[in-house]
Amino acid sequence: MSAAAGAPREWPDRVALRFALNGRAVDAWAAPHDTLLAVLRDTLGATEVKYGCGEGVCGTCTVLLDGAPINACLTLGVHAQGRTITTVRGLAAAAGAPGTAAGDMHPLQRAFVAHEAAQCGFCTPGMLLTAYALLADHPHPTRAEIRTALGGNLCRCTGYTRIVDAVEACVRARQGGDRA
Amino acid sequence: MYLPPFRYVAPRTLDEAIALLREHGDDAKVLAGGQSLLPLMMLGLARPGVLVDVNGIPGLDRIEADGDAVRVGALVRHRAVETDPRLRAACPVLADAAPLIGNIRVRHRGTVGGSLAHADPAAEVPLVATALGATVEVRGAGGARDIPVHEFFRGYLETALGPAEVVTALRLPARGPRMGYGLAELVRRSGDFATVSACAVLGLDGGGRCTHAAVAIGGVGPSALRMRGAERLLIGQLPGDRTLDDAADAVRAEVAPESDVHASADYRRAMARVMARRALGAAVARAGGESRAAGPGAVRS
Amino acid sequence: MIPEPRADGLSPAAYRVVGRALPRFDVADKVRGATQYAADWQMPGMLVGRILRSIYPCARIRRLDVARARALPGVAVVLTARDLPRSGVEEDPTGAGLLRFTTPILADGVVRYQGEPVAIVAAASDASARAALAAIEVEYEPLPGVHDAEAAARRGAERVHEGRDNVFVHWKLRRGDVETGFRGAAAVVERTYRTQRVDHAYLEPEAGVAWVDADGVITVRASSQVIEHFRALAEILGLPHNRVRVIAPFLGGGFGGKEDMTVEPYVAALAWATGRPVRMVWGRDESLLARPKRHAFVMRYKTGAARDGSLLAQEISLLADAGPYPLLSPRVLFAALVVGCGPYRVPHVRIDARAVFTNNVPASAMRGFGAMQMTFAYEAQMDLIAHALGMPPAAIRERNFLRKGDRLPTGEAAGTYVALPELLRRAQDALGERSRPSGPTARVGRGIACNMQPYGRTVWFQDRASAWLGLEADGSLVIRAGVPDLGGGQAASLAQIAAEVLGVSVERIRVHVGDSALTPLAGGTFATRQLYMSGNAALRCARELRAEIAPVAAALLEAAEADLEFADDHVGVAGAPDRRVSLARVVAECSRRGVPVSRLSAFQGERSAPPDLDTGQGRTFPDYTYGCHAAEVEVDTETGETRLLKYAACHDVGRAINPQSVAGQIQGGAAMGIGQALGEEIALEAGVNLTTLFANYLMPTAPDLPDIQAIVLESGEGRGPFGARGIGEPPTGPPLATIAAAVADATGVRPLELPITPERVFRALAGRAGTKEGR
Repeated sequence: MSAAAGAPREWPDRVALRFALNGRAVDAWAAPHDTLLAVLRDTLGATEVKYGCGEGVCGTCTVLLDGAPINACLTLGVHAQGRTITTVRGLAAAAGAPGTAAGDMHPLQRAFVAHEAAQCGFCTPGMLLTAYALLADHPHPTRAEIRTALGGNLCRCTGYTRIVDAVEACVRARQGGDRA
Repeated sequence: MYLPPFRYVAPRTLDEAIALLREHGDDAKVLAGGQSLLPLMMLGLARPGVLVDVNGIPGLDRIEADGDAVRVGALVRHRAVETDPRLRAACPVLADAAPLIGNIRVRHRGTVGGSLAHADPAAEVPLVATALGATVEVRGAGGARDIPVHEFFRGYLETALGPAEVVTALRLPARGPRMGYGLAELVRRSGDFATVSACAVLGLDGGGRCTHAAVAIGGVGPSALRMRGAERLLIGQLPGDRTLDDAADAVRAEVAPESDVHASADYRRAMARVMARRALGAAVARAGGESRAAGPGAVRS
Repeated sequence: MIPEPRADGLSPAAYRVVGRALPRFDVADKVRGATQYAADWQMPGMLVGRILRSIYPCARIRRLDVARARALPGVAVVLTARDLPRSGVEEDPTGAGLLRFTTPILADGVVRYQGEPVAIVAAASDASARAALAAIEVEYEPLPGVHDAEAAARRGAERVHEGRDNVFVHWKLRRGDVETGFRGAAAVVERTYRTQRVDHAYLEPEAGVAWVDADGVITVRASSQVIEHFRALAEILGLPHNRVRVIAPFLGGGFGGKEDMTVEPYVAALAWATGRPVRMVWGRDESLLARPKRHAFVMRYKTGAARDGSLLAQEISLLADAGPYPLLSPRVLFAALVVGCGPYRVPHVRIDARAVFTNNVPASAMRGFGAMQMTFAYEAQMDLIAHALGMPPAAIRERNFLRKGDRLPTGEAAGTYVALPELLRRAQDALGERSRPSGPTARVGRGIACNMQPYGRTVWFQDRASAWLGLEADGSLVIRAGVPDLGGGQAASLAQIAAEVLGVSVERIRVHVGDSALTPLAGGTFATRQLYMSGNAALRCARELRAEIAPVAAALLEAAEADLEFADDHVGVAGAPDRRVSLARVVAECSRRGVPVSRLSAFQGERSAPPDLDTGQGRTFPDYTYGCHAAEVEVDTETGETRLLKYAACHDVGRAINPQSVAGQIQGGAAMGIGQALGEEIALEAGVNLTTLFANYLMPTAPDLPDIQAIVLESGEGRGPFGARGIGEPPTGPPLATIAAAVADATGVRPLELPITPERVFRALAGRAGTKEGR
């Protein structure tokens, strides 16, 4: 379990991690077998990233690694070394929202509230991040494309209709803005 | 969310990786995207003592295309396969198969090499590689070697990789003129492994006759399988509906699936015919022939 | 026609807050990732708790040795059944004096289902906890067990519990004489229907933290629908009831799966044994393996109708697989019994509802609670009878719909308006134009289904809920109610109700819920009872508080109490917009005069004795919520795949406190039913669970579903606050029958078994040759 004395540098027990979490540099000691999910939740207190299945199926642990949605449960903490991680708490800043008051939200978050696109809210952080990554790649998706893009994030409460409504409302608002 | 402890090493070169694999033998596993290996470890179904993380080895994440072939590095992520324009131009069938893999998160981490080495019989990359008669490039202590894909897959989650060998790339023939392909999958739920999948690749001559025919079926055996009987029925023929129906019937006769929690053997056999027929129809249409049932992208049931 | 609402003399237009789609305060927290769920709680020195679970569905434990595990580094404690003061609490799961049973917390000498807890550990890390589990030595003697519910119910079957019949509950309902009914029938249809085991599949796995507080109180903060479990926990630990406290933070979904205890006894025992905080989070695999599921039912229905379509008789036999322990099965079966005939008038009824012990994974509460499975059967029977008589499906329903005042099969009257004709019309109309098939092998079909689902507990449980409201000096309001919030807006709805009465804006209301020590007990969040019970308690409390402070406000404003208006954080005088004072000012004046500005109130539900046990005649549920769903599907006849194209779900909710939340409940409930109809199944083979991963437990994803149109009707007649009816469970049942009917319409073959998998449809189509009837 532990590295033998005099082991080469390849067998570290603990790794000093440094990466950007929601725009701020963070440092954490992690064992190589610590998943990114464990590092975020247990070491860094980022409990907005959820454990839901540990298989990469449910999407509650979705975070953005250099902007790309990944399973934090199926990524080692060491893979975040030197990179940027965004959780749902980083979305407001990512939107360039002014200030850092607790009320600041990304337009997607506001749309989720307005459409009551969350019920129990457990899938919500992952759902928002997936939607955010979709809109970053593909600013004007159709309703069907939104459904497909959210296909890897399970929700048991809403039946998805409101979630698609909320994302679509954001797209519409943005299109309105584009035209203006 | 917690993995059992293991020793971890991140070599910087292939040689270093191979040396480590040699040293630790069966106790070591290669870690690439981790989207199949880590869940198995999480559930206690795999328990390697050593993980050799190849993610830091430079040069394995390149997509190279020349006129005749496409070379996809082992560390190329499925998401790159899905979005790379050169790859789509040279090998559209692989590009179309990529979005069928898992979900967006899995595609951002999962790799082509990992998918080959894991050798799931229902996975998309092995299916397409089989249909295209691709070559798997591997490297071991004795140097590099090429393994034709039909020799690479040995059985359920089993490959011809030696204990100290690493997949370095997948080499696929580029799409030629008058070549068409079709993909069809039966999935119970979006993004899941297919119950049965089919990939067909057809080449036509100036007269519209099949000069090349490859049909691979996934989910009906220990690995994706080429349907040689069906292919023989196609070669030299005008691929009309009747011919394609006959070929699909031959697929049905040729597969020998087993039952599991998701589908019985009989149903899989019947669906192998349906998926093969749909894939063939799409392939003919893309190759410029005539048949029903051709649409854009993959035919997803 | 929908009657004019009664609504306490107020017309809907007169409500300022009720009926508005206000944003929920908890949703704003949730989208920011701020909500602290059970597993998010951390404490200094916290240990990791884990459970050793049986690998066999049925076995004797020959030897259980934890010595080696206890000696491992990092392991704080290992407990087995023998180490607990009491390994279970004796209960009467029928509530009617019919059964005494102790469900073990930890297996003692024998395991009766795969995944049953055998021992628990607390250790410094997950790795050391796992190492401890691996070091526990268990010698099992595997036994064949009993895995088929129908076989288990036969006389002479192998018994799951020595000295007990496998059939442990048998409810009877007898009304009229079914033989007479069938003799006069122009058409009789007899079928057997089967529904499968399904999982709640809330995204938040079972989790909790327990600690011994400074005052010696064992505190359990867990994802739980029932904080009143503190009593059972105290019994298990041999402590006075007031030494255990349960806190239910916002849940990541419950759906009935967190109604029985989950982690609570284990974390409590581990904290009690170690004196340290202990956290336990179940893996998804554990949850799918061993948590109680929705009951699999076998339902035999014989239905007779006259030539004009009037139902004459229903003879129904229900058998549910309970697994090895009663849990809530008796109550689930009772709900099934009461609504067995659906929302229709039937003069002659005979129903037998039985639950049977097996060595399969236990079954207990799940959204819809026995009533929802019946929908699959009684609505299929309606379609089949209609077909036999040459009537359209809607027509036979319209002929037989219950109306207010009609007798239910239990002999009691339907006590509130039954909006089914309107619901049916609205649901059907919502589908719009029929879709064209997308290809040559595709067939499009449509179906409808109606249902009734009780809300509130059976009246012999004498249900009660309390709530506390207090105004602060600044005019803001605090609500305290022991309501676990499952995500359905349970807390936010209380704020909206109080805001309506007291005029405090919802942004100025803070709701504290779900703490057995600090919030007045409200009963658990289950049985679609919280809006009905706690909503009424909050409404009563708000009215009483308003009555208390109104004289003070009247004096300040020199106005008559009857002219006061409480709105916008002020008290004003009707018709005189400039005459108003702030609530803060009123509170200050109350303090000066010694008038209390807080209040505790309770709402007592209807009380009655259990019904007659031989006939089922008597008072049962407080009331019902009625609904109708309509679906359009496309079936690929080559593969048997069913794709849902359109879905509409219409319910009469009496009064929508928050229409957006109500519609959300309808959409989500329908989606859960759709999942059961088309894909989900916990598959067992001789008691061994084959579906312990989300990868093979097939709940629907976004692209699998169409938009679900929720249609909210408000008759104004319900027993909840402002005439509301409960809506949590009612939408789950109709999809089973709606989709089956649509598949039947598309293919000509009626699914009798769930889920409607591609393979089942494919086989049905292949085997259709002989039997043409059965649409």
